Amino acid sequence: MKPAELREIDRPWRIWASIIIVSILAFSVVFGFLILPIVQGRAAGLDAFTAICRAVGILPGSPAVRQPTSEAKAQPTTQVAWSTDLIRSLGQSTPAGAEVAQACVACHGERGIAADPQNPNLAGQSGVAIYKQLHDYKSGSRVHEVMNGIAQGLDGRQIIDVAAHFAASPRRDLDPTTAEVVDEDIVRLVERGDPARGLPACNSCHGFNAGGPMETPTLSHQNREYLARQLHAFRSDGRRNDIYTRMRSVAAKLTDREIDKLANFYATTLSY
Amino acid sequence: MRADTEQDILKTELWWTALVTAVVTAIMLAIIYAGLVHHINPPSNIETVDPKTLHLTGEFTEGNLGTRVDGSQITSRIVATQFAFQPQCIVMPANRTVTLRFATPDVIHGILVTGTNVNTMIIPGYVSQVHTVFTKTGDLLMPCHEFCGLGHSQMWATVRVVPEDEFKPGPDGRVTCDAR
Ligand code: HEC
Ligand code: HEC
Ligand SMILES: [Cu+2]
Repeated sequence: MKPAELREIDRPWRIWASIIIVSILAFSVVFGFLILPIVQGRAAGLDAFTAICRAVGILPGSPAVRQPTSEAKAQPTTQVAWSTDLIRSLGQSTPAGAEVAQACVACHGERGIAADPQNPNLAGQSGVAIYKQLHDYKSGSRVHEVMNGIAQGLDGRQIIDVAAHFAASPRRDLDPTTAEVVDEDIVRLVERGDPARGLPACNSCHGFNAGGPMETPTLSHQNREYLARQLHAFRSDGRRNDIYTRMRSVAAKLTDREIDKLANFYATTLSY
Repeated sequence: MRADTEQDILKTELWWTALVTAVVTAIMLAIIYAGLVHHINPPSNIETVDPKTLHLTGEFTEGNLGTRVDGSQITSRIVATQFAFQPQCIVMPANRTVTLRFATPDVIHGILVTGTNVNTMIIPGYVSQVHTVFTKTGDLLMPCHEFCGLGHSQMWATVRVVPEDEFKPGPDGRVTCDAR
């Protein structure tokens, strides 16, 4: 067939296809931007023009039903608010940080590795986590006689510097002779969690580069006594500075035995 | 090309066109049916909120979450965060119009309440709002249905639907699972 003939056959198809598409489009516009907003807007007490503007996206939508005013308590779990600048500066270790860290040596050790296992190691801890904890001690969201006083003596810049300093220090070596053979159910809690109790795996947040909440601290290479004490504190509501009960809701479901074994696991085993 | 082959090709083409049209029509009808009969619709509100300070100011601070009765209005506020809902259990009365408001400080989550028409995405920066009426009483499962990280499969909450006469708000208008 010649091209002209082919075009002749094609014509009605093209015309009908165009008509169908244009009419579907016209129907959608009329139905979605005019009829539905007017009918539904009337039920929600909006006049036709406002309803149409909101449907088209010119006016911002607001709850169609008026919201009760919130009288949220003035004391939130934490005062920390994140920003990209803040997170960037937590990754840059400066000499100023090493200077501030001199004040921490007595309890957190020469290089951020504490001699007393009741005190946490800071070496190799995530900078974001150290920053958040110091901020919380300073604002009183996390309570500890000694640390509250120390954090209140630091200004915002010093907190960032010292956090970046310890984050860049090398971690405590793990002593392979202390690593216990750990129970299967504990390893399962660490790696898989327990769906029946709604317990996410510890490592879904605490694992290296796990992608959970960014303020999550590193647990491996930490001291056993310190870890166990924190888990008990979260469970008994003694520590409540975790945003949206992220850690309290987990600890509340753990048994004494599990807390003990988990603390031991993270203190002695390379978990990733 | 021979004429009868051309006819064959045309015929096959028409058959496939018919088949595809039928499939698309069936899907469209299913969507319209779900929308009109089961009231399953995409949420229509656009309301923004700052995810970076969600935990600090206003409606979605920890102390303000959960079910609250304000006059005739029953609202429950829930935060979806990696990898849990806060609160993890909410109480709702049966056969009353209720409002559920969701927000997230971190990544995209989604929820559905099993056996009901409640189903929405929860997107950082926006408040997701759903109005509904629960008709079945009992503990309904509310899982996160949008992959949000390694702990996603353990992320679920409970919606406890109680008969209307057992739904008793405290003096502050709040109703919690613990109190019952
Ligand atoms: C007198 C001892 C002492 C000194 C000095 C001290 N700390 Fe502490 N620090 C502690 C104890 C004890 C804890 C555990 C507190 C708790 O259980 O809440 C702690 C906890 C912390 C934590 C929380 C760790 C975590 O994993 O959550 C950070 C961060 C911290 N200290 C930073 C510092 C910095 C920075 C300095 C120096 C400016 C410092 N500390 C000085 C005793 C001390
Ligand atoms: C949903 C994410 C998540 C899961 C799952 C999780 N954690 Fe945590 N955990 C956190 C966050 C976030 C913090 C820091 C809380 C804060 O902001 O003060 C934390 C803090 C901790 C601390 C205190 C550490 C310190 O340095 O002070 C311990 C101990 C701990 N978690 C143990 C565990 C164990 C054991 C499990 C598993 C049973 C677990 N976590 C599961 C998010 C999680
Ligand atoms: Cu989720």
